[in-house]
Amino acid sequence: MNGANLNDLALLLPELMLVGTASVLILVPQRIQKLPLVAAATILAALAAALASVWIVSADPKIGFGGMITVDRYSQFFKVLIASALTLTSLLSVTARGPLGSQTHESSVRPAEYFALLLLASTGMMFAASALDLLTLYLALELMTLCSYILVGITVDRPKSNEAAIKYFLLGSFASALFLYGLALAYGATGTTDFATIASTLSDRGLANNKILLAAIGLLTAGLAFKIAAFPFHAWAPDAYHGASAPVAAFLAAASKAAGLAALGRVCLIAFVPEARVISAVLTGLAVLSILVGSILAVSQTDMKRLLAYSSIAHAGYALLGFICMTPEGAEATMTYAFLYVFMTLGAFGIVIALGQRGESLDGYQGFASQRPGAALLMLLFLLSLTGIPPTAGFTAKFLVIQSVLFAGYTWLAVLAVVCSVVTAFVYLRVAVIMYMKEPQVPAAPRFPPAVTAALAVAALVTVIGGVLPSIVTQWAVAP
Amino acid sequence: MNEYIGIGVAFVLAAGIAGAMVVLASTLGKKKPSPTKSEPFECGKSPFSLPGGKLAIKFYLTAILFILFDVELVFLYPWAVIYRTLGISGLVQMGVFLGILMVGYVYAWANGALEWK
Repeated sequence: MNGANLNDLALLLPELMLVGTASVLILVPQRIQKLPLVAAATILAALAAALASVWIVSADPKIGFGGMITVDRYSQFFKVLIASALTLTSLLSVTARGPLGSQTHESSVRPAEYFALLLLASTGMMFAASALDLLTLYLALELMTLCSYILVGITVDRPKSNEAAIKYFLLGSFASALFLYGLALAYGATGTTDFATIASTLSDRGLANNKILLAAIGLLTAGLAFKIAAFPFHAWAPDAYHGASAPVAAFLAAASKAAGLAALGRVCLIAFVPEARVISAVLTGLAVLSILVGSILAVSQTDMKRLLAYSSIAHAGYALLGFICMTPEGAEATMTYAFLYVFMTLGAFGIVIALGQRGESLDGYQGFASQRPGAALLMLLFLLSLTGIPPTAGFTAKFLVIQSVLFAGYTWLAVLAVVCSVVTAFVYLRVAVIMYMKEPQVPAAPRFPPAVTAALAVAALVTVIGGVLPSIVTQWAVAP
Repeated sequence: MNEYIGIGVAFVLAAGIAGAMVVLASTLGKKKPSPTKSEPFECGKSPFSLPGGKLAIKFYLTAILFILFDVELVFLYPWAVIYRTLGISGLVQMGVFLGILMVGYVYAWANGALEWK
């Protein structure tokens, strides 16, 4: 019985930093809960966690807590990504109107509680990237989603936010139940919840005489597909993004998608790898439907946050393309996709946040380019990147995943992905047309808050670098 | 079979203690019946009412706080049993766990969750 020792705790250094900061934030007296101070503390914690996760990784992966947690290059990549998303979301939350008070004058949201929830959700995401066991993964995803439910509904004085939180909670609990049921069936069929042991049982016995394990794979994949909002488990995303305040929606779209992909990658590439054919058929279905539905439904949206929600569904489909191949190269393409997508979507959400109430509907962008040419140019950059037009990061991301499915022999999938990119081009460029070719209907927006400007600059920088020098990102993407 | 004797003893003890409490309370205790005390469950809520009315949220808050400590105990018992084999690292890890739990408790306390308004 040598379950754990103190060295194991050192593996959790990034998570402990986030949890520690969150604990301090909710314990400090209310009078020192000033928004910029709390945001600065969160950003410092996120940067420290990113540095710690870079620092604790050595050449070979370390395993702790009796095989429950690993720290390897894969988890490091996603932890840095989640910490970056947390940093940018924190910056985007520091506006003159308060973190979430885009609708009301007096925001009822206490900054410390908001940032503590962001920190705890990020902790869950980091655990999900490190998990080597279905139980750890379940706990990590629950920590992430429970905090997300509260974040969506945290603006209690807005009925729309409450409604979104209830919908998200009901669908989310259902998905968690599916995942838990899959976990139980996997345990029943293999006698273990450990990824590696599940894989060895699978390769010993196969799926042919093991229908229970097949059901387990289906249920687990469904639970994880919900986290990344892939069709047909996407229904919560538009409502949740629409009802949540813009920074929360940005965080959900960026960070929770990355965490879901991290979890899905490890489950598919370690636990289910002996049945690659089955799992890649399931993933193909999810990816194709997500790309089609996300692209087509985005066309008719008039609300910017809903548009970005459907865009995020389509992007979840594109990101899944890399996993379909079930090869390390494919997984690395998906990792790069997740990384670049986080920055471009946070950038697009950043413009929405900076414009406040006006930025939430498509009509609010009329004549934006003549009023604020610089900001409109940034928005154009993010939109082009979301479309996948070179030389932006979105092109690199799409190129890598489509290349990986081509190498794996799925030519029709590559063709479909490219055709749907054209459809989404219409969606994104429509916003650009509204910005550049319509006369302004509303007075020019006030100056952007400095923190939001900083976040936009970082997002734009990564979007450009990801397109021009993709090797900076791709060299860090190492499959599990 | 021998290993089940302990469980049997636990059952007998539990039944004995619970039974003794009921018997002692009904024979030795004073009896001052009142409508509230005569209800099957003395939990502050009317046992028979049509659904659809408003329900005070403070009951749920109390229930959630109870679960907080319930779960804590569930972890503390097995931990105490194998404490010696876990050594100092077990102590530190339980300290982290209890510390995080205490943060939530202090937060709930500071925000008035323990006041029955």
